[in-house]
Amino acid sequence: MSQTALYLIAGLALWLIGLHGLIVQHYALRRIIALNIMGSGCFMVMVALASRVQPPDPVLQALVVTGLVVAASASAFALRLASSGKPEQDE
Amino acid sequence: MNAALLVLVLPLSCALWLLLLHRRAAWLVLLVNTLTLLAALQALRSVLQQGSQHLQLGGWDSPLGIGFSLTPLSALLLVFSALLHLLVSVYAARSRHSQTRDSDFWPLSCLLQASLAALWLSTDLFNWYVTLELLGLVAVALIIIAGPRAHAAALRYLLLSLAASLCYLLGVALIYGEFGVLDIARLGEYPFDSRSSRVALWLMTLGLMLKAALWPLHQWLPAAHASAPTSVSALLSALVVKGPLFILWMLWSRLAPADAAQQAGLLFALAGVAALLAGGWAAMRTPWLKTLVAYSTVAQLGYALLALGLLLHWQDPGLSVALWLFVLAHGLAKVSMFLAAGEMQATLGSRRVLALKGATQTMPLAMFAFTLAGASLIGLPPSGGFLAKWVLLMPLLAEPQHWPWALAVLLGTLASAAYVFRVVVLSFDRAEPIPAGFSTDRFAQWLAMLPALVVWGLALIAEPLLRWLQEVPW
Repeated sequence: MSQTALYLIAGLALWLIGLHGLIVQHYALRRIIALNIMGSGCFMVMVALASRVQPPDPVLQALVVTGLVVAASASAFALRLASSGKPEQDE
Repeated sequence: MNAALLVLVLPLSCALWLLLLHRRAAWLVLLVNTLTLLAALQALRSVLQQGSQHLQLGGWDSPLGIGFSLTPLSALLLVFSALLHLLVSVYAARSRHSQTRDSDFWPLSCLLQASLAALWLSTDLFNWYVTLELLGLVAVALIIIAGPRAHAAALRYLLLSLAASLCYLLGVALIYGEFGVLDIARLGEYPFDSRSSRVALWLMTLGLMLKAALWPLHQWLPAAHASAPTSVSALLSALVVKGPLFILWMLWSRLAPADAAQQAGLLFALAGVAALLAGGWAAMRTPWLKTLVAYSTVAQLGYALLALGLLLHWQDPGLSVALWLFVLAHGLAKVSMFLAAGEMQATLGSRRVLALKGATQTMPLAMFAFTLAGASLIGLPPSGGFLAKWVLLMPLLAEPQHWPWALAVLLGTLASAAYVFRVVVLSFDRAEPIPAGFSTDRFAQWLAMLPALVVWGLALIAEPLLRWLQEVPW
C-alpha cells in the first residue's frame, strides 16, 4: 500500500471516530474534542490528497490553512460557550 | 466598484468598525442597511440590463483568486436579504420590547448580512464552506444575546453546525482530489459517475441538510430559533436556513448526473412531505408561541424541499421558480410572524400560546399581522405563498400520474391551516380584563405588518413576476 493511501485511510478513520464520538458522547467538552478529531481527519485527507503529485498541490494546502483558522476559532467559541453555562446558573 | 460588491463590503466594514471601536451605534447600522439595499437594487438593475456578470476580486484569476458571479437569482436574493435586514433592524432599534437594542446585535447582524451576500455571490465549493461557517458562527453568537437561558440550545446548534461543515468539507476535499477544480461551472463539465464523487456529493448533501434543518435533520431548529431574541429569530428563520438550501440547489442542479439526481429527487420530495406533516403536527401541539412559529419554519422548508425534489426527479428546471418563490414568500411571511409573535408575547407577558386568548381585542394590529402572514404560509390567495404553490401545483395537476404529489401538497396545506387557525381561533375568544397601565407599541406592530403586506402585494404583480422568473436563465 502506498504511503498516500495509508494517510487517506487514517484520515477517513479519524473522521469517522470523531463523528462517532460526537453522536455518543454527552458532555460538551468531549463533543468539542470529538469535533476536533473529525476536523483533523478531514485535514489529513486533504494533505494526503495534496501530496499525490510532486510538488504538492498548493491549493489544497491553502485550503487546509484556511480550514485550520476556521476550526481553531470555532473551537474557541464552542469552549467559551460550554464553560459559560454553569457559573452564571450558580449566581 | 460593482454594486454587488458594495452589498458585501458595506456591512462588512461597518461590522469591523463597530467591533474595533466597541460601539453599538444603531443609527449607523440603519444607515448602512439602507445603503446596502440601494446597492442591491442597483445590482439587480444592472443584471437586468446587462445579464449575468463575473467578478474577479482584485483581478486574481481562479483558483487563487475569489471569483463571484452575479446572476438574476443572486441579485434578487441580495435585494431580499438586504430588505429583510433593514426591516428587522428598524424593529430592533425602535421596539420597546427589543432585547437587542443595546447589545452586540448590531455588529453581528452586519456580519450576517455580509456572509449571506458572499454566499449568494459565490460559485466555488470552498468559498461556500467559508461562508457557511461564518453564517453558523454568527447565528450562534446572535442567539446567545438572549442570555444564559439560550446557551444550551445555542451550544447544540453550534456543535451540529460545525459537524455539518466538516461533513461538507470532506466532500469538497474528495471532489477536489478527483477533479482538481472547485468552481461549480467548471465542475459541471465533468461526469460525476465514479463512486467517490457520488459519496462526496452525498456527504455535502448531508451537511447542507443538517444546516438547512431539512427533515429529518431539523431537531435543533425549534429550540435554537425559539430561544433567540425576537429580531434574531426573524433573521434566522427567514434568511439563514435559506443559504444552505441555495447551495444544495446549485449542487444538485448543476453537478449531479441525471440518474443520480432522479433518485435523490424522489428522496428529497418524500422528505419534504414528511417535513410538512411532522412540522405541522409539532406546531399544532406545542404550548409555546415562538416554538410554534419555529416548527412552522420546519414545515415550510418542506415545501421548498418538495419543489427541489420534484425538480430533480422530473428534470424540470421550471420548478426552480416554485422553489425560489417559496423562499421569498416564506422569508417575508416569517419575519412578519416572528415580529408579531415576539411583540405579543412581550406585551402580554407570557411565552405560552394560551396567552393570546382574546388578542384580537388587546392587540388587534399584531394579531392581524400574524394572521396575514399565516394566510400566506397556508397559501390562501391572493398572497405570495399562494403564487408559489400555484407554480408548484400546475405541473402536478397537468398529468394524472402526478396527482398523489398534489394530494401531499393538500395535506401540507391542511397541516399549516391547522396550526395557524389554532392561534387565530384562540385570539377571537373574549379577552381577560385588561390591567391598568396596559399599553401597546403601535409602531412595532406596524413594522410586523409591513412584510405581510409586501407578501400579499406579490400577488398584485403576479403576472409580470412569474413571466420574468420563467424567462431568466437559471
